[in-house]
Amino acid sequence: MQTLIIILGWTGLAALFVRATQQPAGATAPQAVPFLGGGTPDAHAWQRYHFRPYTMTLVFIAFEMEMMFMYPWAVVFVSEGIKALAEMGMFLAILSVGILYGWREGVFRWQ
Amino acid sequence: MGLSSPDPASVFAAIGPGWQAPVERLLARQGLRRALTPRDAGILLVAGDMPGTAAEALSRVHDQLPHPRVTLRWTIAEETADAVAERIAATWRDLRAGEADESDHLPDQPPNEWKGVGPHGQGGKGMMGGTPYGRTMAMTGEDIRDGLQLDRYTARIGPFAPMLPPGLVLEVTLQGDVIVAASVQSPPFAQPADADAPELCAARMLTLLGLDEPARRSIRGRRPSGFWVRGAVPRDLGRIKDAGNARDRLAAFLAGDSPAVAATDLSELLPGLEWSEAMLVLASFPPSSILRAAPIPEAA
Amino acid sequence: MIVLLALAVLGTLGLGAVLVVAMDGRIAQLAGQFARQRIETEAPDRLNRDLAPVWYLALAAAGLSVVPFAPGHALLDSPVGIVIWGTCEALTIVTVFLHGWAPNAPFPLIGAYRYVAIALPVMLPSMFVLIAAALPAESLSLLAIVESQREIWNVARQPLGLPLFAIVVLTLTLRGPMDFADAADIATGTSADESGSARALWEVARAAMLVSASALAATVFFGGPLGPALPGPVWLWIKTAALVAAFAWLGRRIARTTPSRMLTILWVVLLPLSFLHLAISGVIAL
Repeated sequence: MQTLIIILGWTGLAALFVRATQQPAGATAPQAVPFLGGGTPDAHAWQRYHFRPYTMTLVFIAFEMEMMFMYPWAVVFVSEGIKALAEMGMFLAILSVGILYGWREGVFRWQ
Repeated sequence: MGLSSPDPASVFAAIGPGWQAPVERLLARQGLRRALTPRDAGILLVAGDMPGTAAEALSRVHDQLPHPRVTLRWTIAEETADAVAERIAATWRDLRAGEADESDHLPDQPPNEWKGVGPHGQGGKGMMGGTPYGRTMAMTGEDIRDGLQLDRYTARIGPFAPMLPPGLVLEVTLQGDVIVAASVQSPPFAQPADADAPELCAARMLTLLGLDEPARRSIRGRRPSGFWVRGAVPRDLGRIKDAGNARDRLAAFLAGDSPAVAATDLSELLPGLEWSEAMLVLASFPPSSILRAAPIPEAA
Repeated sequence: MIVLLALAVLGTLGLGAVLVVAMDGRIAQLAGQFARQRIETEAPDRLNRDLAPVWYLALAAAGLSVVPFAPGHALLDSPVGIVIWGTCEALTIVTVFLHGWAPNAPFPLIGAYRYVAIALPVMLPSMFVLIAAALPAESLSLLAIVESQREIWNVARQPLGLPLFAIVVLTLTLRGPMDFADAADIATGTSADESGSARALWEVARAAMLVSASALAATVFFGGPLGPALPGPVWLWIKTAALVAAFAWLGRRIARTTPSRMLTILWVVLLPLSFLHLAISGVIAL
């Protein structure tokens, strides 16, 4: 509860700061054109954007899930001793094979 | 560095034929700052006589500067850089005091007529059709890397884009940030041999590598310092027969050598490259090579 | 006490941000920019445009709240402090993305997507580094991590930690080699179509985040408020200021490679390095 109040408090303060320091935004039509070095666009910039490293994000999710297991593991690590080290070592070794496979498949490049 | 650094005059440069080297040297001075977008600038420096074809683009860039803004012209070769720097400093003082401003050059009209029926300007079924806020939406097309059907975004970039050679107008089609098609709408402005000076060529690449201060040092004729400078340029980028790759050319620039490169046609060189790779490749050619590489388009 | 700590966080963030801008020699420049016109692009996403800097500042403040200003005293005295900090890091990616998305303009949009591609994998070394710091403390609380460094600082017993975390800090604050959002080849990227006060505010938010991230680095690697003679907060401020200067210096001097190459480096070099870091830290902690 205290955490929530503090985070909300900072957000509120930040919003007040931004309100206080910002001029009202506005522009005439020629001012509002997106900057392209004097050139013009055909279409709106918002689009079904071709996000090139999309395959990487799938591998990323696997690693993020693994992080969740690591939090409790870190707390009991010293009391569990060498067993905990070996277990996480095996887990990371398996994930490393995944990285190698992904690398070979070109997952970490702009597709 | 320093607590009491004064506010440097932020200048967006519209560089005309023959003025690339003088302007780049001018804006590397102490107390001046070259803005990479007109949104960040207070002064528009128009250097040289602009051809009529660039007039509308110049007006567009002028209008994109936030108020208060001032245009300065540097068109007489006899006027020294010192004199221009003095003029900029005086104008910047006026600007900060709120004693100078300019109104728009272009009429205050939306880019296109509003079309469509929906509350956001959409016309047809679902998300398709119509021209919301006076512009169409990007449409799908085949990609050259992975063949996915995603949106193609087409725009004309230049002639005053800071990452492109002055005068060059490229019509590019992007899918994401990869160039899938490029054509030269108008070639770069001709520049005398001084624009090929290795310290200027090196500075253009250093700026793209995020090394602003070393780039300024390079222009002032001092040795630019930085970690991983050559290594940051990918090895297989911009390989040209007999002229090595982009990394080799950066090494040559840094060593004080400006290699003559026979650049290939830009509409063949750029497609397939991601945008930042493409800009690095372009910056790795001396301006004279780019000019030879960009064919004059047939009169439309 | 809680009011005092809240004021300490606020003061550190405010004065620290001023210090960062001063180190870049840009106080007068930013002050001038606040008075200039704020241009609105065609058909922007106004809500997210206005909220992005708010989130950025709020995340910097929330992140700094878990940092103990004296042994045993943090504004957010949470048993899972590093998880909260990790959340702030991850949400920073969303914030920067929205900043680039909002103007409905091509260069900001490219910067936004590019940043997401780079910053996501950077989160992995970051969490490995923080979890490694939690091992000797046997706790996810930053208070416990400070206590565990009474004899020896983590910077000495976990040698790979600080270099890896430096990359995280440069990514979170859009600096130098990791500034893929606001790069020169896309005319300052997510900020390309922002002017005047909006542009200056984004710089201030970046500076605040640098203070917050440096304070966390000072806590995790240099014992935070621990030190002889002087009171805890003073030690934290000294260490934070030194780290701010170091990160800013690194950011100005390391070249930035292309995003696709950086992506490969992050996964193929830095991630295995952070595995190694965890293994070394684990063996030493036992």
